[in-house]
Amino acid sequence: MKWKKLGKIFDPTEHKLPNNCFEFAKSPQTLIFENFVRIYFSTIEKESTGKFLSHIAFIDIDKNFKNIINISKETVIKLGNLGCFDEHGIFPVNILRNGDKVFAYTTGWSRRVSVSVETSVGLAISEDNGLTFNKIGDGPILTSSLHEPFLVCDAFVIKFNNSYHMWYIFGTRWVENTIDTIPARVYKIGHATSNDGISWQKEGKQIISDKLNSDECQALPTVIYHNSKYHMFFCYRQPIDFRKNSNRAYRIGYAYSVDLVNWIRDDENVGIDVSKEGWDSEMLCYPHVFHCNNKVYLLYNGNEFGRNGFGLAVFEEN
Amino acid sequence: MEFKWKKLGLVFNPTEIKDRNWLKEFAQAPSVLVFDKFIRVYFSCRSKPDQNGQYVSYSAYVDLNRNNLFEIIDVSKKPILELGKTGTFDEFGTYPTSVIRNGNEVFAYYGGWTRCESVPFNVAIGLAMSKDNGVTFTKLGDGPVFSYSLNEPFVLSGPKIRRFDNKFYLFYIAGRKWILDNGKPEPVYKIRMAISDDGIKWIKQNRDLIESRIEENEAQASPDVIYYNNKFHMFFCYRYSTNYRGKENGYRIGYAYSDDLMNWHRDDSQTGIDISKEGWDSEMISYPHVFELDNKVYMFYLGNQVGKYGFGLAQLESYK
Repeated sequence: MKWKKLGKIFDPTEHKLPNNCFEFAKSPQTLIFENFVRIYFSTIEKESTGKFLSHIAFIDIDKNFKNIINISKETVIKLGNLGCFDEHGIFPVNILRNGDKVFAYTTGWSRRVSVSVETSVGLAISEDNGLTFNKIGDGPILTSSLHEPFLVCDAFVIKFNNSYHMWYIFGTRWVENTIDTIPARVYKIGHATSNDGISWQKEGKQIISDKLNSDECQALPTVIYHNSKYHMFFCYRQPIDFRKNSNRAYRIGYAYSVDLVNWIRDDENVGIDVSKEGWDSEMLCYPHVFHCNNKVYLLYNGNEFGRNGFGLAVFEEN
Repeated sequence: MEFKWKKLGLVFNPTEIKDRNWLKEFAQAPSVLVFDKFIRVYFSCRSKPDQNGQYVSYSAYVDLNRNNLFEIIDVSKKPILELGKTGTFDEFGTYPTSVIRNGNEVFAYYGGWTRCESVPFNVAIGLAMSKDNGVTFTKLGDGPVFSYSLNEPFVLSGPKIRRFDNKFYLFYIAGRKWILDNGKPEPVYKIRMAISDDGIKWIKQNRDLIESRIEENEAQASPDVIYYNNKFHMFFCYRYSTNYRGKENGYRIGYAYSDDLMNWHRDDSQTGIDISKEGWDSEMISYPHVFELDNKVYMFYLGNQVGKYGFGLAQLESYK
């Protein structure tokens, strides 16, 4: 695999965003139209208490990925009601065109006391080509279960052979944190299937092997079918001291599969790493792969988890 | 038809237990497991509140002489379940618990409590198994067996496990909304049901079983079902949505019946039990548990302050 970096394509601090959001454009996700690409991302509002709320916004960009032709002006998906799983933010979201509707698989955040947060996956549906979405219920469609006890999030959904597949992550444990006083989370990539995209059966196991150690955090899987194989990109990091220490921060990992069941991790062939300098020199995270213009592209975030936006790379065929 | 219950008095007062620091107050949600010589009554209790006034709840049991239900034979030496690990659904409490025999094992379904920022708590239902006749239980996993879903977004609690015709039925409550009463969040919950072949994988019915009577935001709890006289009977408790910690808006016991477990007809006028003029159950009655023993039908229930001073017993006098 080899990716050619095309540079940063969107910086949220240079634009006006809805919901008083002012920084961060995390986890870019695409919806392809005939003449442009809509790229959704999660951005941040600062509450008067100093805490943050994540909101979904989007840009429309031409297919050269050079000219931004529109930015969302309204709330795209409302945060949840009091006590609901998505009361304190939606980050990330994954977008799936489904007939004449658009499905948004959200990760909802709600704050906890002994740990910082709990998350679950929700579903909102758009009937106006992805401008706005309505949740199909106050609760989640995928959440904790016996052996996935917390932090079910980061859904990526795609349809292969008339079956919906979801890759997502689930928490395995909260570990003592020597950097902060609050516990740190450990999560792994899992898989679920569905006939309707709404009701899901979990496979119930970690599907990508650990590389760093058993407390490696694996996040945001994205899958594409290309050249007769399924390719998964994700990001991974150490469980603590990962925010400012570049050596322990997110990098993009890679695995491939021929049957969607067995995945072989092969980070050697991921074909992208941090740059020597610039906006993506310290970390790479939140990858999203997609087809456009008969090419395969990779959207991703760089330093500081995308505080200053996201960039693009294009896959170079052999 | 109407039930008529004769109150027999307070059976177990947790404040009289002196040597267990996790069992200081409350004996809530009684649930019975019958043995040859005694009945084991599971209940949920609390240690003293912490400096912020917050409680952690545990589940335990008391063994009562089968021939004299007012004679305490034993009290569990320690809680039947450990609290969950950091960040898990049952880190701050296991309450309430409902038990059932399954072959040589005993299954315990319990509400696991976590603490939240915008609302005080959330609850999901866990499952643990005992291989020693219900003295100790081991959880099946760190997570819940029964969790939130699209239309049951939070506060899944009050499990009551039953088996009819080789199927497991879980009656429980699901939160509908949190309302703000003078800025304080109060949960509204309704009675729901799920069905399972193995007790582990559940199919939710996704609807309210019992219509609300006193107000739209009536909170319903403790859906306790018994098959008796060719009908299914459900005793439950209900309260107003606000100011419910006193007599006026506090819990009362309600009643519904069904021929098929699916369609329920609420008729509180048939309940046959109400608060007393004075004494331990003069302000509220709640968390009924109805069971048959030696050809008699009994009801355990909680009195004032939702069981802070224990649970009492009533005996069915007539149903006609």
